[in-house]
Amino acid sequence: MIRARPGARLGELRMLMWVAALLLTGYVAVVAAASGRFAWYEIAVPLAVLAVFGALHVFLVSIGFRGDQLLMPLAVGLTGIGFVLVERLAPALLLQQLTWLVIAAGAFAMTILIPRDLSVLARFKYTWALLGMLLLVSPLLPVIGREINGARIWVGVAGVAQFEPWELVKIALVIFFAAYLEEYREVLSKPPRRFGPIPVPPVPYLLPIVAMWLVAMLVMVFEKDLGATLLFFGIFLAMLYLATGEPVYVVIGLLLLVGGGFVAYHAFGHVAARIDVWLAPFDSDLRFDQGYQLTQGLFSLANAGVLGAGLGSGMPERIPVVWSDFVFDAFTEEVGFVGALGLLALYLVFVYRGMLIALRAPTIFLQLLAGGLSFIVAFQTLVIVAGNAKLIPLTGITLPFVAYGGSSLITNYMLCALLLRVSDITAKVRR
Amino acid sequence: MEITFAVLLWAVRIAFLILLYLFLIRAFRSLHRALTDERAAISARQLGIAALVVTRSHGGGPRVGERLPLRAVSSVGRDAGNDIVLNDEAASAKHAIVSFADGEWWLEDAGSTNGTVLNGSRIWDKERFHYGDEVSVGRIALRLERAQ
Repeated sequence: MIRARPGARLGELRMLMWVAALLLTGYVAVVAAASGRFAWYEIAVPLAVLAVFGALHVFLVSIGFRGDQLLMPLAVGLTGIGFVLVERLAPALLLQQLTWLVIAAGAFAMTILIPRDLSVLARFKYTWALLGMLLLVSPLLPVIGREINGARIWVGVAGVAQFEPWELVKIALVIFFAAYLEEYREVLSKPPRRFGPIPVPPVPYLLPIVAMWLVAMLVMVFEKDLGATLLFFGIFLAMLYLATGEPVYVVIGLLLLVGGGFVAYHAFGHVAARIDVWLAPFDSDLRFDQGYQLTQGLFSLANAGVLGAGLGSGMPERIPVVWSDFVFDAFTEEVGFVGALGLLALYLVFVYRGMLIALRAPTIFLQLLAGGLSFIVAFQTLVIVAGNAKLIPLTGITLPFVAYGGSSLITNYMLCALLLRVSDITAKVRR
Repeated sequence: MEITFAVLLWAVRIAFLILLYLFLIRAFRSLHRALTDERAAISARQLGIAALVVTRSHGGGPRVGERLPLRAVSSVGRDAGNDIVLNDEAASAKHAIVSFADGEWWLEDAGSTNGTVLNGSRIWDKERFHYGDEVSVGRIALRLERAQ
């Protein structure tokens, strides 16, 4: 089966050409604005990035891959914008991010190759749940776990590398929910008993889901990471809704969230701090302290206008940790409303495409898997962009594919590869 | 000299935005194409389930108004092995064939004894079968209708 077919995946190649042009232009603008000149040797870094993207394309062509041709160019287009922003905001981290990209490309290729049959993932669903749990509690372990910026969500060896395991947990969680809900969605959507409009499924069927969710919540409270908690809860509700079509579950879930948020606000200092900052970042006690990051982000947005300050000419470096937490504000300040709209539209196309892959998928498990994975990208984008714009409390979620950070880059490329696998199976089943 | 550099820089910045949107437009177009293909596939599936509606019948035959769903190729006749079974002594065991090809429905006599009548005239060849056309087999009349 493995043979090179010349001429295949031309659509993908054409889209990659646009990504190349976009990345090179953005990079030239940023370097030229910073140093007042542009030397040709400086083009080496974006070319290296493009070489990785090209290698992914050649890899897909060489294994005769039949999956979607738009998803990978969209992902690498976003990553390309990410590299422009890393060069703009934290040039010292550029080589490290390039290393992460190479590892992410490797993870992408492995995800494409290794599970020969995706339904194997469904068969080992409790293994995935267990693995997710272990990854989730790993930062709490004494030797490898470490706390950075008040959140204990990292594992790693000091000075070598750190990793945020919850990024991987989100994929394990989607696989588990997809497999579990495929098996029991009948019981959950058409339960024998109803309490008014509320379906009451037999308790044993709900237990594994609720247990997994509860542990995720508890661990997150101890690891002090609001964003991941929100993301897990969102995945849980979205997949329950996708599988059963019961809006009641979503309503109950949202009520639980509001209730839980109220309790957490009064019980945990780190939650209260986030919400106070969100409500009044310019408060005289907060604006130079905990609210500083958000106020600087808001100044960045206010400075944007329609066309922005121009790539390289804004002052986004005033925002602390801008390269991982506030890339959206930084990008918006320099390319304006027009550029920000373009960036959000890229995410829109990615998610729409992912949902289309889910619609076309041949089995319920694959549909739920693709739907859940697409939901992750949509939800993360919404939560972090809204957080950066002070629409909702700020969380530590990363902007998928764009923000600086190894863990998020690697997992998002694995996510993209899984979506591609689903579309590949669909293409092979259909003709 | 200073001005030309600033102009160049802005040209590159604007080019970045234009490229971003050109990339987006292509992505949207590709997405739109996928959606239209999907819609065409769905409507093709729906076309395949057009139906014959009984307009005239008798005691032992199907009820008047009953919808008999069609497949891409459906055989009509008295024999129980047909896709559409008509219990009528004037119908042959294998009487007629209704098929969907080239985006159209077609009606064909399958060598029946008493013949297949389309809109009042007996057919000898494979004939176009329009929505609303009526076919008579023995004492039973059926009208071709779109899927609901």
